[in-house]
Amino acid sequence: MIRATNLQKRFGAVIAVDGVSFTAPDGAVTGLLGPNGAGKTTSLRMIYGLMKPDGGSIDVDGHDAVSDPLAAQARLGVLPDLSGLYPRLTSREHIRYFGNLQGLHGADLEARIEKWIEVLDLKSVADRRVAGFSHGERTKVALARALVHNPQNILLDEPTNGLDVMSTRAMRDVIRRLKTEQRCVVFSSHVMQEVSALCDRIVVIAHGRVAAEGTPDDLLAVTGKTSLEDAFVSLVGLQGEAA
Amino acid sequence: MNFSRMIIVARKELTDGFRDRRAIYVVLFSVLFGPIMVAFLLNQIAGQEKAAQDIQIPVVGREFAPVLVNWLEQQSGVELVAGPAEPEAAVRDRKFEFVLVMEKEFAEKFRDSRPAPVQVVSDSTRETSRAKVRRLRALLSHFSSETGALRLIARGISPSVATALKVEDVEVSNSQQRAATVFNMIPMFLILAAFTAGMQIATDSTAGERERGSLEPLLLNPVPRWQLVTGKWLAAVVAAIGGMIATLVVTSVVLSKLSLEDLGIRNQLGTPELLLLIAAIGPMALLAPSMQVYLACFAKSFKEAQSYMSFLIFAAIIPGMASIFHPVANRTWMQPIPFIGQNALAMDILGGKLPSPLILIAAALAAFALAGAFLWLATRSFSSEKIIFGR
Repeated sequence: MIRATNLQKRFGAVIAVDGVSFTAPDGAVTGLLGPNGAGKTTSLRMIYGLMKPDGGSIDVDGHDAVSDPLAAQARLGVLPDLSGLYPRLTSREHIRYFGNLQGLHGADLEARIEKWIEVLDLKSVADRRVAGFSHGERTKVALARALVHNPQNILLDEPTNGLDVMSTRAMRDVIRRLKTEQRCVVFSSHVMQEVSALCDRIVVIAHGRVAAEGTPDDLLAVTGKTSLEDAFVSLVGLQGEAA
Repeated sequence: MNFSRMIIVARKELTDGFRDRRAIYVVLFSVLFGPIMVAFLLNQIAGQEKAAQDIQIPVVGREFAPVLVNWLEQQSGVELVAGPAEPEAAVRDRKFEFVLVMEKEFAEKFRDSRPAPVQVVSDSTRETSRAKVRRLRALLSHFSSETGALRLIARGISPSVATALKVEDVEVSNSQQRAATVFNMIPMFLILAAFTAGMQIATDSTAGERERGSLEPLLLNPVPRWQLVTGKWLAAVVAAIGGMIATLVVTSVVLSKLSLEDLGIRNQLGTPELLLLIAAIGPMALLAPSMQVYLACFAKSFKEAQSYMSFLIFAAIIPGMASIFHPVANRTWMQPIPFIGQNALAMDILGGKLPSPLILIAAALAAFALAGAFLWLATRSFSSEKIIFGR
């Protein structure tokens, strides 16, 4: 479970995140929905410990991610915005490297690697160097290495960006699978269909603030709209006027 | 403390680095460049020396001085060829290196036992012809004194009366000095190897990581930053040490194939000297990658990092360059100073002077301390949001 409370982050004069709070429970998919530049990626970066918040607190399964980011990171699996690979390593070596860095070794690690190669349908490219992989294949390798340590909490930053239909389906299957395993999944997106297809809970972020939070039905009720897209536009617009 | 993550990072960077063909070529180049250059230069100096022994003398007006021509033709390694019509112009235009001109009145004056005129036309600014001209002068003066001695004997006088001095040549010739200069380049090439061999891994694992966008995912693993940094450094150190030892081995093999004694140099690269050289210059292989890792953190791309690296290499070879041209400037107080000290110690060892173990240890400790400082700085950089996310 991830609980973010009143997160603040500014870059010089620009306030990127201005009091974001939300809770992402286990066994549910939480979507961070918002337009580009709303503060989604910055919020996620603070949760996964690579950016220090100017204010607020983050709790990952009882660990304070601000004061002890390494403990939080051990319980997080993250697919960041930029998931560069090493062109001269194979898919399997990528997953093994991150597994090693998470403290996994030997037969246990090899079994996990095999499992993710199977789940993500990477068999045909498992022992090929990743230089020349398609965007879909690259994303799958990045996802596998992020999940090899079976983290309880999974953060995905715009995971389906630029993916083709087949890869998008594979990504959705993984997200559903993680949910049924009672894990806490948070993913950010600016694509409405993506969010409505997968999310149990939606956190609408605009201008560095949380505009609304709840189930899709909650959002419809709050805004009085009949489609999620209209609800989103009205929430983001309202927040814009308020700011 | 658990160092296992550091080893994991180092192992990965080495695997990655050794699959990089470009990196391998750079290492090979850095290993072979120095020794080949030393061999080439020493060979050339030896060649010039040999070329001066066997000379072709372009002669003008040989009909005027049959005696001298006959004598010259009898000397070993000497061949007379026809000279140009206008000797001075030909030498000035570099068509000939030098020309021997017998003047018209040679025969007449020679017959009368008066000094017979010959001209040696040469261009003293031409390095390559100097040795040959010197050889020609020696031949002429030899002929002169031999003939003079015969004339004195003919007049019943002992030739030794006319010889006030007996000059013996104990010269440190020009070519010996040049050969020594080339020999003094060896420490510089060893230091250069420490910088070039680890450079690819040091930059690819830092600036390259940023460029590929793989730094952010890497930092998501629960590994202390200093372990990541030292792991990357360690991989570069392995390459740097490998490059340096390979350079040393290739150098000693190359030197053993050359006949250095002919050039007046005793080849002092036996096994004890090799080990001492490693002890003296080895710390550079730890220091150089730490500086490279730190500097490369600031580069957003591999290319940008490489331009920083070339400045670093330039700085690294300055002490070596200086000591090639001013070998006297080697003082004991310099020896514990990183960069300068390694070079100074290596020069001493090559010169047959063994440095005291105390100074070797002091020099190594100073280099390690500086390496530690750079690693600490690099660790700080790896924690900076500007560097993690700045692209």
